[in-house]
Amino acid sequence: MTTTPAIRAVNLVKIYQSGRGLPVPAVRGVDLTVDPGEFVAIMGPSGSGKSTLIHLLGGLDTRTSGEIWLDGKRADTLSESGWAVLRREKIGFVFQFFNLVTNMTVADNVELPALLGGASPRHARERREYLLGELGLTDRAAAAPAQLSGGEQQRVALARALANQPRLLLADEPTGNLDSRNTRDVLKLLSRVHRQGQTIVLVTHDARVAGLADRVVSLLDGEIVDDGAIVRRRGPGGTAGDVVELRG
Amino acid sequence: MASRMIGSAEGRWIRADLRARRGQALLTVLTVAGIVTALIAAATLLEDGTNPWRGLFERGRGAHIWLHTKTVPDVSALKSLDGVTDVAGPYHSAPATLAADRGRKVPISLQEAPAALPAVARPLLSEGRWLDVRHPEGVVVERSFARAIGLRPGSPFTVTGLNGATHTLTVAGLAETGDQGFYPEWAPGLAWTLRQTLTAVEPAPGRTETVTGLRLADPGLTDLIVQRAVFTLHGQVQRVTTWREVRAAMELDNRLLGLLLGLFGVAGLVAAALALANVTGGRVLTQLRDIATLKSLGFTRGQITRMLLVEHGALGLAGIALGVVAAWLITAYALGESGVTPLSPGPHAAITVGTALVVLVAVWLPAWRGGRTPPLPAVPAAPPRGRLSRLARLALLVRLPPALVLGARDAFTRRTPALLTICGVAIPMMMITIGLGCWATLDDFIRHPEGVGQAAALAVRPADLTAEETRERVMADPDVVAAYPGAELDALVPGQTRTVRTRALGTSADPYPFPVAEGRMFRDRGEAVAGQGLLDLLGARVGDRVRITIGGTPLIVRIVGRVIEPEQDGEVLSLGIDSLAAKDAVPPRFYGLVLRPGAEPGEARARLQAQGLEVAQAVNPADRLAVIRVIIVALVVVLALIGLANLLTAGALGLRDHVLDLAVLKAMGLTPRQVMATLVTGTGLLAVVGVLLGGCVGALWSRALIDLEGRHSGVGAGIGRAPTPGMLAAAIGIAIGAALLVALIPARRAARARIPVTAR
Ligand SMILES: Nc1ncnc2c1ncn2[C@@H]1O[C@H](COP(=O)(O)OP(=O)(O)O)[C@@H](O)[C@H]1O
Ligand SMILES: [Mg+2]
Repeated sequence: MTTTPAIRAVNLVKIYQSGRGLPVPAVRGVDLTVDPGEFVAIMGPSGSGKSTLIHLLGGLDTRTSGEIWLDGKRADTLSESGWAVLRREKIGFVFQFFNLVTNMTVADNVELPALLGGASPRHARERREYLLGELGLTDRAAAAPAQLSGGEQQRVALARALANQPRLLLADEPTGNLDSRNTRDVLKLLSRVHRQGQTIVLVTHDARVAGLADRVVSLLDGEIVDDGAIVRRRGPGGTAGDVVELRG
Repeated sequence: MASRMIGSAEGRWIRADLRARRGQALLTVLTVAGIVTALIAAATLLEDGTNPWRGLFERGRGAHIWLHTKTVPDVSALKSLDGVTDVAGPYHSAPATLAADRGRKVPISLQEAPAALPAVARPLLSEGRWLDVRHPEGVVVERSFARAIGLRPGSPFTVTGLNGATHTLTVAGLAETGDQGFYPEWAPGLAWTLRQTLTAVEPAPGRTETVTGLRLADPGLTDLIVQRAVFTLHGQVQRVTTWREVRAAMELDNRLLGLLLGLFGVAGLVAAALALANVTGGRVLTQLRDIATLKSLGFTRGQITRMLLVEHGALGLAGIALGVVAAWLITAYALGESGVTPLSPGPHAAITVGTALVVLVAVWLPAWRGGRTPPLPAVPAAPPRGRLSRLARLALLVRLPPALVLGARDAFTRRTPALLTICGVAIPMMMITIGLGCWATLDDFIRHPEGVGQAAALAVRPADLTAEETRERVMADPDVVAAYPGAELDALVPGQTRTVRTRALGTSADPYPFPVAEGRMFRDRGEAVAGQGLLDLLGARVGDRVRITIGGTPLIVRIVGRVIEPEQDGEVLSLGIDSLAAKDAVPPRFYGLVLRPGAEPGEARARLQAQGLEVAQAVNPADRLAVIRVIIVALVVVLALIGLANLLTAGALGLRDHVLDLAVLKAMGLTPRQVMATLVTGTGLLAVVGVLLGGCVGALWSRALIDLEGRHSGVGAGIGRAPTPGMLAAAIGIAIGAALLVALIPARRAARARIPVTAR
C-alpha cells in the first residue's frame, strides 16, 4: 500500500528491571504496522506484554530499543513533553480502570482534552455536549465519576478519548471490568467510531471483543506469534463477532 | 482571571480540585494567615516597645528640629527654607522648680502651648484635659515625668520661678510627645502652660527662651537644614535638638528581645513552610493516580508542576494577604487603642516577601515531584501485605488486642510517609518546647532575680541626707538585709568613641553578689567583672587587663570573671567601689539594698520613701520582655494547629493506603470499633513517637539555644533554662491527647463507612 501507516513499530523491545535487578523482557522485538482506519485487536494471555506494547505505542512508557513511527513521523525519540503534546493532539487512550479524573465532573473530564489542545471553552463545551449526547450520558454531565456505574464511567472515558478527534485510539482491555451488557454497549460504540474511519488498537483477551476487529495480533511472551485479518461470515441474525475465523 | 493566564485546561483542573477540598484549602489559608498575622503583630509590638519614638512622632506630627533661641526668630525665613514643611511655635519656655512630695525640689521646664492643640508638634493628651483659657492655673505634664514624680490630673503643681515666687497650679492633664525623650533620661521634665501662666511664673523676658520646631519633608536632610537655619538666624540660635537625639534617648537597647523575637519569627516561618509542604505533599500523594491520568491525556511535566504550584501557591499567597489584612486590623483597632503604631514599611515588606518566598519554596518541592509522576496510571502500589493474618493470629495468641498489633504494623510499613508524619509532629513539638524553655527562663528571671544581677531589689539615693545617715536609716528597716555602697559612672575604653557603663557596687572585701557565669568574683582592688557585651566590645577575655578612663582618671583593671548582665546589652564593667579613685567613690552615690527573702520590694520601698529617701525599684528583665510571653502563647497555638493539620493529612493518606486493607479486615471479622482502633493506632503511634522525639530534642536544645541568644545579645550565656519537668510533661500529655483525638476523626469515618471492594 502507498498510504503512510498510522503506526509502524520496528523491532520494539521493552525490558523492565525487576525489583531484584533482574531484567524482565516484556516486549521482545515486535514489528507491527497499522494502517489508517484499521481496527487491530491485540490478544494474548495475561503477562504476555499486551499492556506494555500499547503503552509504548502511546508514549506512556519508554522503549528499551526499536523504533516507533506515528503517521510517518518518528516518535520514539521524542522527549516526555514531546510525547505529551503528541498524545493530546493525536492519541486517545482508554484504560481498563476508566481512569477518570476523580475531582472533576463528567463534563469537565470530557472537556479537558479539548481545552488542553487549545480549543476555546465554548468549542470544548459543544464537543462535550455532542459526545455525551452520542453516548447517552447527557443527563450525567454534572455527576462526579464516583457516582457512575462502571459501564457509564467507561463510556465517559471513551468520550474523553475521542474529544480531540484523535488519529489513533488506543484501548487497553476497555471491557475487562464490565459486565456483559456494558461490554456490549462499549463495543457498539467502538464499532461505530471505527465505521466512521477511526483507527483503533485494542488490547483484549476476550475473543468476542477481538472479533470486532479487522485484524487480530496474538502476543505470547512479548513476541508476536500470529497476525492475521479476520473474515466475517454473517449468519442469519448473527451479530458481528459471532463467528471468528482466522485467515492465512 | 488566573485560569485564562495559565491555560484553561489547567485552570479547570485547579478549580475542580479546590472545589473538591474546600475545607482543607480554607485551613491552609487560615494557617498561613495566622502565622503572618502573628509575625506582623509580634514585630509591631517589638518595634513599638523598642522604638516608641516613631509612634509618638507620627501621631503628634512632631518637629524634626527644635531651635532654641534667646529671642523670637524670623518664622517666615525659617518657613521658606527648602525642605521645611511646617513650623511649630515659636513658643516661650522658662526653667522653674517643682515642689514634689516630701519636700523634694525638681527642676522642670515650662513651655508655652496654645489652648487649641497645634497641628504640628502636637502633644498627645493621654489623661485629663488640655489647657483651657478659663482655667489658666491648669498645666499639662509630660507623662513619663508625671509618672516619675507621681502626678495625676488634679494633683497640685507648685512651681517656683527663678525670682523665688511660688505659684500653685493644678495638673489638668497628662500628655505624651515625640519631641523630647522620656524622663529621667531626658531632663528636665516638661510641662505645658498657657502663655499668660508662663508669664506669671517668669515675668522677666530675659530669662525665657524661645523654642521653634521645624517639620521636614525629608528627615535625611536634617543636618543640612540645621546648618541653613543656624545661618539664617545669624547666631541667634543657642541650642538645637533633632529627632535623632530624641529617638536615641527613647530607644530601648534591648537586643535580647529582638533576638528572641527573631528566633520566634524564624520558627514561625519554618512552621509555615512545614505546614504548606506537608499539605501540598499529602495532597499530591493522594492525587498521583489522577496526575498520571492527566499525563496520559497529554499534560506535560511542566504543566503539572505549574498547575500544582499555582494552586497551592495561590492558597499560601491568599493566606499571606489575609494575614496582612488581619494584622492591619489588629494593629489598627485592637492595639491602636493602646497607641501602638503600625509596623514601618521595611520590616513589613520583609515579613511579607519572606513568607511569600517560603511559601513558594515549600510548595515548589511537592509540585516538582508531582510533575515527575510517570504517565502510566499504574495500579496504586499496595503496601506490602501478606503476613496480615499470621500477625493477627499471633496477637490473638498473646492476648493483645489485634487492632493494636495491626495498627502498629501499619504504622511503619511505608517508611517515607511514616518519617514525614513523625517530622510533621516532632518539629512543631520541638519548637513548642523551645518556646516553653523561653517561658521557663523568664520565670526564672522573676523567681531568682539575683541570677540576673538583681540581688538588690531597691536602690536608694541619699537625696538630702549624708551617706552615713542614709545607711543607718536603711539598715534599720526590718526587711533590708544588706546595703552595698555603689556608684555608676561612664568610662572611656580604648578604641571606642563612646563610653561604657562602669558600675561600682560593694567593696572588694565585701562584693555585691554579682551572678558570675565564668571565672570568679573580684576579690582585690583593681579587679573587675564584665558582661558578655563588654567583652565582645573590647575583644577581651576573662583574665585580660583593660585600661579605662573614668572622669579623667586612668584606671587599669583585670577582668577576672564574666557576669550575667541584662543591662546596656551587657556592656557594663562591674568592680568594687574601693577600686575607684576617692573622688568618684566617696561618698557613695547610692546603696543597693538586698531584702530578706520573701520581702515585698514595693512595701519596703514605700516605707523607705516615707523616711525621705529616694528609692528606685529594679525592673526585672522579664518584665521588659513581657511581650515575649504573648508571642510564646500565640506561637504555641499556631504550632499546635500546624502539628494537628499535619496529622490530619497523614491520617487521610493512611486511609487512602488502607481502603483495600479495610475491606480485608472487615471480611476477617473485625468490628467497626476494632477497625477504628487499628487506624487510630496506625497514625497515633507515629504521633506519639513524633511528640516524644520533638519534646526531648526541644528540651535538650532550648537551653543551648537560649544561651546562644543570650551570648549574642550581650547578656551572656548561662541564662537558658529547659522547661520544667511538669511543664514538659503537661505539654507532651496534651499533645498526645490532641493527636489521638485528631487521628480519631478520619478513623471513625472510615470505620463507619461501608467499604466497597473497589477494583482499583
Ligand atoms: N513496571 C514494571 N516493572 C517490572 N515488570 C513489569 C512492569 N510492568 C509489567 N511488567 C512485567 O512485564 C510483563 C508484561 O506485562 P504486561 O504488559 O502488563 O502484560 P499483559 O498486559 O499482557 O498482562 C509481565 O511479566 C509483567 O510482570
Ligand atoms: Mg494488561
